[in-house]
Amino acid sequence: MAESATQHQHETHDQHSAVPYVVVWIALLVFTAVTYLTGIQHLGKWALAIALAIACTKSALVALIFMHLRESSGATRLVFVTSLVFVALLLFFTVSDVATRFTLATPAGAPFGTERSQPEGLLEHEMPAEE
Amino acid sequence: MRLSEADSARLAGALPQAPTYLQDGTTVLSWLNTRDHKRVGVMFLASVIFFFFIGGIFALALRMKLLQPGPYLIDAVSYNRLFTLHGVVMIFLFLIPSIPSAFGNFVLPLMIGARDVAFPRLNLASFYLYLAGAAITIWGMLQGGADTGWTFYTPYSSTTPTQVLPILLGVFVVGFSSILTGLNFIVTVHTLRAPGMTWMRIPLFVWGIYATSIIQILATPVLGITVLIVAVERFAGFGMFDPARGGDPVLFQHMFWFYSHPAVYIMILPAMGVISETVSAFSRKNTFGYKAIAMSSLGIAFVGFFTWGHHMFVAGQSTFNAGAFGILSMFVGVFTAIKVFNWVGTMYRGAIAFKTPFAYICGFLYFIVFGGMTGVALATTSLDIHWHDTYFVVAHFHFIMVGASVMGFLAALHYWFPKMFGKTYPEGWGLVAASLIILGFNATFIPQFLLGNYGMPRRYYQYPEHFQALHVASTAGGTLLGFGFLIILIYLTIALIWGQRSESNPWGSKGFEWLSASPPPTHNFDELPTITQMPHDYRTHEPPGVLHVA
Amino acid sequence: MSHEAAQGLPEGILAHHFSSLERQNEAMRLGMWLFLATEILLFAGLFTGYAVYRFQFPLAFAECSRHLEIALGTLNTIVLITSSFTVALAIHFARTDRRRAAVICLVLTIGFALAFLGIKAVEYTAHFHERSLPGKYYAFEGVKILGAAMFFTMYFLMTGLHGVHVVAGMSVLSWLLWRTLQGRYSSRYYTGLEMGGLYWHLVDLVWIFLYPLLYLI
Repeated sequence: MAESATQHQHETHDQHSAVPYVVVWIALLVFTAVTYLTGIQHLGKWALAIALAIACTKSALVALIFMHLRESSGATRLVFVTSLVFVALLLFFTVSDVATRFTLATPAGAPFGTERSQPEGLLEHEMPAEE
Repeated sequence: MRLSEADSARLAGALPQAPTYLQDGTTVLSWLNTRDHKRVGVMFLASVIFFFFIGGIFALALRMKLLQPGPYLIDAVSYNRLFTLHGVVMIFLFLIPSIPSAFGNFVLPLMIGARDVAFPRLNLASFYLYLAGAAITIWGMLQGGADTGWTFYTPYSSTTPTQVLPILLGVFVVGFSSILTGLNFIVTVHTLRAPGMTWMRIPLFVWGIYATSIIQILATPVLGITVLIVAVERFAGFGMFDPARGGDPVLFQHMFWFYSHPAVYIMILPAMGVISETVSAFSRKNTFGYKAIAMSSLGIAFVGFFTWGHHMFVAGQSTFNAGAFGILSMFVGVFTAIKVFNWVGTMYRGAIAFKTPFAYICGFLYFIVFGGMTGVALATTSLDIHWHDTYFVVAHFHFIMVGASVMGFLAALHYWFPKMFGKTYPEGWGLVAASLIILGFNATFIPQFLLGNYGMPRRYYQYPEHFQALHVASTAGGTLLGFGFLIILIYLTIALIWGQRSESNPWGSKGFEWLSASPPPTHNFDELPTITQMPHDYRTHEPPGVLHVA
Repeated sequence: MSHEAAQGLPEGILAHHFSSLERQNEAMRLGMWLFLATEILLFAGLFTGYAVYRFQFPLAFAECSRHLEIALGTLNTIVLITSSFTVALAIHFARTDRRRAAVICLVLTIGFALAFLGIKAVEYTAHFHERSLPGKYYAFEGVKILGAAMFFTMYFLMTGLHGVHVVAGMSVLSWLLWRTLQGRYSSRYYTGLEMGGLYWHLVDLVWIFLYPLLYLI
């Protein structure tokens, strides 16, 4: 039985095609161009969302095709997805803390401050005009 | 459950026993270069016990100093270093690897009917990484040690002149060892279960270890990077956590507790697994609520990740986060309560054999409920503001980490001692030591709850005189506790060398790990067994010592 | 070992405690993905730091980002994506028994890895010259607002840790190249090569996020 299983594997491998790899490679290059072109436009508050959306698409392609997650067992897929969930968890609660914190008062003459309370910043220079 | 003919004949004593894993090569090299999960487990066991005593000596030194309110025996600087080393050694070198690496390695493959763990070489590598990390930490200690506390809070840890670097590096390397062990266990459970062992027939200890391994995989890397960044801060001044450079020390605490809170569950989940096994074995009754216990292990592992902010209620964390983390923390109590309910349910109307492990089960139940309830109280934000960084917190986490975890460790040690070494320990001495330990533990930490509630801060070298009575009581309890552990060390050493040969299954346990001889042969089974029933199925009436062998 | 011979396998491939090669391959794959999960969480710590400081210092981060060489960053992205492609091809050729092609693809991959490091070295040199360095070393004339030093702290930590992974991946690939030259991998057995490939793809994955986050704010 084991013999026939190896045999079977052998056959499928002969038919294994490289076409998806080429397609993904071209897609990745195209997405890189798109992220570059949108990135240098500095699209304001949408810039980060667009950049991350493209990056996620690219990594999904790499994970599914290059890393064969598409044909992998459920357990391996679960491992990958779980790790991403916990990355999101760490990011979410840490950033939510910073985002909802009181801005601490900075005493006058302190060597530093936060951007919000002391726009001059560290080195007595003017703020750049743009956001 | 079906064993192969050869295996069952050996177990019943009809065939001569195959050489045990202990007899298969007796040179030092055959141990140091072994691929056998059982030998790796035994080597881990010896190492963690060694570090347990080192950490214990530090603790006793601290308690001795605290007999007097003023300077006494040791100076303030040494005091700071001692409590740091006590924490580092106990957490990273004892508690985290204790049950998973020692007992998990030994019994997990036996329980699921495998010949070894999935990656035996990686398993050995994990042991050497642990030793390397421990060696670096010891070297750091000999250089003078660190005085940051085991939490390494920045910016103090990036500026103190003590030897923080080697300790950080040691922690990093030990973390690697922990990751590799966890990885190995997860893959082993997924790919090497014996035929017929469905997910719902996996022994509960394996479920506990499996849940632990998930935490080890997901949380430890974050500690790794945090510790690395602090190291970079120290020697290169990158300023990521340095407020003087716009850095946020609270960010360090977020990253640190993202590991270190789930790490509490790395310490307690395996102990819960041990209790789930032993409570069935010593009540001679089928596990009550198998699925609930198994799933609550995963539940604790999951929810444990959503609670880390409760260490930072007074650290400048936002009110929103404090509220969210406070509520989420309480869910751990729900899952723990499910377990406690089912353990008690297993005992109810069982035929209880009050052996040493059962004494520890009772201790465990008391400590986990007491420690858990004070934990729920501490998760209440408003109460924590009063108790934060007082002895109340110290007493609370010692109830869980020493009380509950160490009870689990000792229950496992006594329950599996005949399995591992084929020897019998003296039951009378076992019960004496167990009562000493449970009594001593209460005497040590109940005064600390009171001290904390009166406002005694943790990690302080000196204290007002009116606290002295409670401190003396605590030290007296600590001494009792120390004696208890010493007695165990002595009688187990004697039992190991001169002890009576034990039967193959002295408890008459129906756990799957007893399907092999005690001590087991090198590759555990001649042929893999076929599992046809749940673990700890006591409904069948074979005489103890022979499992249901069809 | 008879265990292996019984399944018609060459010696030294199937470990004694696995019942079949498929089972063992599945174990290797799962183990590797678990390891990759730990790598992802290792980087997660730095991404968290990045998120917090970008949130606190949006101006400084945008300003500093514009002082990075976008051309070199983009080039490196293309180099790394292509290397990911060639390593996928190498595994494809190995599993279809075209060893020569597999070897060529591996050599190309290692070449791309070296090119990546070379380009990164050019960028680092420029940073050293203009003193756009992390923390206390920061003395860049171009951006003088609070948080600029923090951008470069994150930049160096993230690209540095990624660079270490590139070096590690390159060493793994070189070892696999040597094993391929020895003829260890074929349609029968190519798991080792597959594992190395997975690691290299992860290095690529991390860069896919680093590129827009650092260069294109």
